[in-house]
Amino acid sequence: MNYEQFLQEQTRRHFFRQCGVGVGAMALADLVASSANADPSGNPLAPKPPHFPPRAKRVIYLFMAGGPSQLDMFDHKPALNRLNGQPIPPSYLEGKRFAFMDSSHRINLLGTRRTFDQYGQSGAWVSDLLPYTSKIVDELTFIRTCKTDLFNHAPAKLFMNTGTGQFGRPSMGSWLTYGLGSECKDLPGFVVLQSGPRGPRGGAVLWGSGMLPSTYQGVPLRNRGEPILNLTTPESISESQQVQVIDAVGRLNSKRLADTGDDEIATRINAYEMAYRMQSSAPDLMNTADESAETLDLYGIKDPKEVSFARNCLLARRLVERGVRFVQLYHTNWDHHGGATENLEEHLPSICREIDRSCAGLVLDLKRRGLLKDTIVVWGGEFGRTPMGEVRESTGRNHHIDAFTMWFAGGGFKPGTIYGETDEFGFGPVDHSVHVRDIHATLLHQLGLHHERLSVRSQGLDFKLTGVVPASVVNEVLM
Amino acid sequence: MQENAVKSFLGNCQESIPLFFLANVSFAYLIAGSPLFAEQIQFNRDVRPILSENCLACHGFDHAKREAGLRLDTREGALATLDSGHVAVQPGKPDTSELVRRILLKEDDDECMPPASSVKKLSDKQRQILQTWIEQGAEYEKHWSFIPPVKAELPVRTNELNAEHANPIDWFVHAKLVQNGLTPSKEADPTTLIRRLSLDITGLPPTIPEVDAFVANWAINANDAYNDLADRLLRSPSYGERWGRWWLDQARYADSNGYSVDSPRQIWKYRDWVIDALNRDMPFDQFTIEQLAGDLLPGATEQQKIATGFHRNTQINQEGGIDVEQFRIDSIFDRVATTGTVFLGLSVGCAQCHDHKFDPILQKEYYQLFAFFNNQEEPTLTVYPPELNAADLIAEKKQLDKVIRDVMAKMDSAIETWEAELTEEQRMELPKETQKILSGDKKKKRTAPQKEILYAEGIGATDVDFKKTRDRIRQIDTMLEQGVNTLVMKELAQPRKTTVFVQGDFTRPSEEVTCSTPSVLHSLDKTKSNLNRLDLAQWIVSPANPLTSRVIVNRVWQNYFGRGLVESENDFGMQGALPTHPELLDWLAVEFIEQGRSLKALHKLIVTSNTYRQSSIDRPELREKDRENTFLGKQRRLRLDAEIVRDVGLSASGLLSSKMGGAPVYPPIPDGVMNQGQVKREWKVSTGEDRYRRGLYTFLYRATPPPSLNVFDAPEGNSSCTRRIRSNTPLQALTLLNDAAFFEFAKALEKIIEHNGIEVAFQRCTSRTPRADEIEILGKLDRLSAARVLLNLDETVTRE
Repeated sequence: MNYEQFLQEQTRRHFFRQCGVGVGAMALADLVASSANADPSGNPLAPKPPHFPPRAKRVIYLFMAGGPSQLDMFDHKPALNRLNGQPIPPSYLEGKRFAFMDSSHRINLLGTRRTFDQYGQSGAWVSDLLPYTSKIVDELTFIRTCKTDLFNHAPAKLFMNTGTGQFGRPSMGSWLTYGLGSECKDLPGFVVLQSGPRGPRGGAVLWGSGMLPSTYQGVPLRNRGEPILNLTTPESISESQQVQVIDAVGRLNSKRLADTGDDEIATRINAYEMAYRMQSSAPDLMNTADESAETLDLYGIKDPKEVSFARNCLLARRLVERGVRFVQLYHTNWDHHGGATENLEEHLPSICREIDRSCAGLVLDLKRRGLLKDTIVVWGGEFGRTPMGEVRESTGRNHHIDAFTMWFAGGGFKPGTIYGETDEFGFGPVDHSVHVRDIHATLLHQLGLHHERLSVRSQGLDFKLTGVVPASVVNEVLM
Repeated sequence: MQENAVKSFLGNCQESIPLFFLANVSFAYLIAGSPLFAEQIQFNRDVRPILSENCLACHGFDHAKREAGLRLDTREGALATLDSGHVAVQPGKPDTSELVRRILLKEDDDECMPPASSVKKLSDKQRQILQTWIEQGAEYEKHWSFIPPVKAELPVRTNELNAEHANPIDWFVHAKLVQNGLTPSKEADPTTLIRRLSLDITGLPPTIPEVDAFVANWAINANDAYNDLADRLLRSPSYGERWGRWWLDQARYADSNGYSVDSPRQIWKYRDWVIDALNRDMPFDQFTIEQLAGDLLPGATEQQKIATGFHRNTQINQEGGIDVEQFRIDSIFDRVATTGTVFLGLSVGCAQCHDHKFDPILQKEYYQLFAFFNNQEEPTLTVYPPELNAADLIAEKKQLDKVIRDVMAKMDSAIETWEAELTEEQRMELPKETQKILSGDKKKKRTAPQKEILYAEGIGATDVDFKKTRDRIRQIDTMLEQGVNTLVMKELAQPRKTTVFVQGDFTRPSEEVTCSTPSVLHSLDKTKSNLNRLDLAQWIVSPANPLTSRVIVNRVWQNYFGRGLVESENDFGMQGALPTHPELLDWLAVEFIEQGRSLKALHKLIVTSNTYRQSSIDRPELREKDRENTFLGKQRRLRLDAEIVRDVGLSASGLLSSKMGGAPVYPPIPDGVMNQGQVKREWKVSTGEDRYRRGLYTFLYRATPPPSLNVFDAPEGNSSCTRRIRSNTPLQALTLLNDAAFFEFAKALEKIIEHNGIEVAFQRCTSRTPRADEIEILGKLDRLSAARVLLNLDETVTRE
């Protein structure tokens, strides 16, 4: 086969027509390899079949960075209030390690100041901090016995995202786009949104692609300035100049493709097409003018231009509507140790107000749009907090890894489910401990991927999100 | 596009039998399905990959995970009578071998091996190979990479290999091509060659006069011209920068502490040491010793201490509430893993929690290696410019400080008297700083320097000696401020105790161990007591080491051809890929040692081969028969490394600064990048030529890496990187199109178009002259647009 034939074999499609920008016909579009081509190098993000029929197609992961206090929100423990101020029985602490071990070896139980009640058909306990979440408990699946291995923020966040505290491993979103590709032609397959006073501890490694190509790494969608780095055409360049440049790059690259027969050039031509589409689709995404006042209200968005977790929840819905595979929202800061700026009295209620209405709004909005059935919403932090109190300027709790609460909604999770029981203080599980790797296995399973089969070979080993210790799908929480 | 995941030799799918396998094993079997092989089964080539992939996780070296008491990693184990009474392997008797019975069972049978639950599955071919191997006697071989390399006899030169300047590389490569019914590609044209060679050796494109001169010399004597070019480029200091970055990837170099806080750190002296060592062509054994143990060499020089920064490129967690010991241990885990990966090409890190499942490395042996790295302090060394004579200055200052102290020791009451007698007027005449000291009412808490000031302004105003002494001290201080900090290693006088950690958990120490090396490799001189890092370094560079020279040669080769002769460049263990050209790899490894471990000699040998000089243009024959270019029937087009993408842009637009070394710089980056991490870091854009330095000098924050480098797959320095992925993404397109730095290059290139024409600009980007049809496309654009197009061409960011 000569190159002319090779090029003719490529499918013919006109992306500029698809994206609705009046650029006119372009020769290069005819030459571009598409996913129809047997060689996958044409588009590394082309949709790929799962291992088995999936229950869910996409994930919105609401990451509560810093470690939310389950004992003041979901895990109701009257014994804590009864024994407030008394030391926890030593049997609980033997062989345990905590953050701030040297300086704050605090062993006295701390009762919650919150009032708890049961809600919905499921009778889930929720505290008064979350009035909106309490109304949707029958949509949610609570796991109260989540377990992680690491108790410092950055390593624990890495662990929750990559299944290991070691660097250089792919994050969950990278695994999913690697395994399934993306159904969105004009936005990245894995998008990260941030809100709160600071970025999450750990930074870019949390959405890194590790030993997978950077194609699969999370792309931060920025709330200020241009939504994606370098998305905007330089100021002095007009729209038509930009189109001419991209057109000419495509034409010249096509000639080089014909000269050299290197498939990588076809991939690059594809990449320029997508880059161009992103230039218009990303601003469209960010422009929420087409959202009704009622919808904004559902999320609790007062000013749609203002950066907030609520706005990010709305953007998350807009992203999954467009076929984005994995959307991860980080909201800081949940690290309530009891300091002057991070305590349970003032700051926990305040951050709960920031997220409560929009989390519930997101679930309801997805549901009424028919998206919840195949979209998984995940809510949780990198760990939970201790039943023992920390007293600094005010009161707080230390990092805790033995049992903490996460909730899931949609995507085939059994709604109105409460799974896992903790002991009288909420220190450890009395049944059904669910390790991070089990959570990973379960999420992959819902997306049609077997956690033992989704692997990449590096250093002679098959690396997996769930690592080497056996993981299990938590079937009890699935429909 | 990334390389395909390394496939084991036989692969899992029927279609992907490598051609060299077809060539070596009887076609009769493959076609007719006969169990008989015309050729002898070779354990390493044919059997080990099957066992390693499918069996050894449960029947291997890790005794804790061994099932049914069966181990298949040794012949003794395979032939042993098991508790069940069965014998897995009976040489010559496949029919009575339990292994054969088990692998032939139906998948749903509980006894079928590998079990259905393992997700592993044998193909029919693999089953046949195991049977035939047993039939032929079930011989084992030591793993290929643990056998020291020897130079094989060069293959017979065939007539087709007629180029006069072919070197031994070509003999090996050509023999393999012929064996597989392929032919080499023709030599690339001289313009392509000079661009390829310049980018590969120096990371910079050739200038137009360099291209013209080379093409002219080529016309006279192509081979001489090419050899001279290679020599010139290898002498260029830019060589150290380009290949320095190759090494810094492996050394996981970056300019910050990592984890969440990610404070900046100073360790760029180490980066400069690497560049300098490569430019001086420091033999690789010395290069290794100085980095692993430079501080332990007798009379260690400052430079040798700086070199130990290699293992100070670990991250430091500055988060609140951490257990410092935990992260000290983590950094040692990193050092052990990095040493294994970089110098041995082995994933020794796997034995941190358990015996290695695939390679014969015991968990205990892991902690014996760990012990070498468990005995250090981690100090900061201040490095002064050599002309400063800092040691003398520091001694002088110490002496002068004592003079001042002696004077001041007797002055307290005199100063107080003076102060008490000061009138308001006199007070107002004193310098601001002095007044401030006087106005504070904490007389008792005044510092020594404050008292000195009061003395100098008051009763000591006429003390000429005192003034002279103070001035000299200040002068010395100013000179010493030129000192630069860098992180180094230092051995503790009293070794720390090292133990095995159960499951790699440092809170669960068990058996105590001392320094040693894995027994599967060459032996360590154990007659010495108190072994330390220097002994480890010398063990690594020992001529008896079967791994290091192969690993390094392969990693150099990989940069020139896009893939190593061993594709799994960081794993030469049993799970790794087999070499595609084993004799060539071994020949190069031995040659490397014979040439005094000179990296420059190795580069010269590779780049002057016909194999390297081939055209990278695809041919239908190769596309059909060797799509992955396993047999090197052509060169490969390779997208440039991240830093070089920048360097080419800078060079094409005439902005590039040639300044070498020194503190990292801050070229423009998009707004808001630096507040992605937990702590917002300052990024004060460099001015003057520092704005236009080569990519490798850009400040690297691990948590918020520079986007334009990151997007082109530059590593973040979180762990050792032995091969860069080459992705090809829309974000790269957006960077080249819209990033402020690249737009600035475009505007400079616009000026070049204005003054010198589009052809010159085209040539500055691609090194070749444009064709008429290309000019036609560019001619329709305004100059700035044309400049932007040129900087965005695939060809501009590719070496062909």
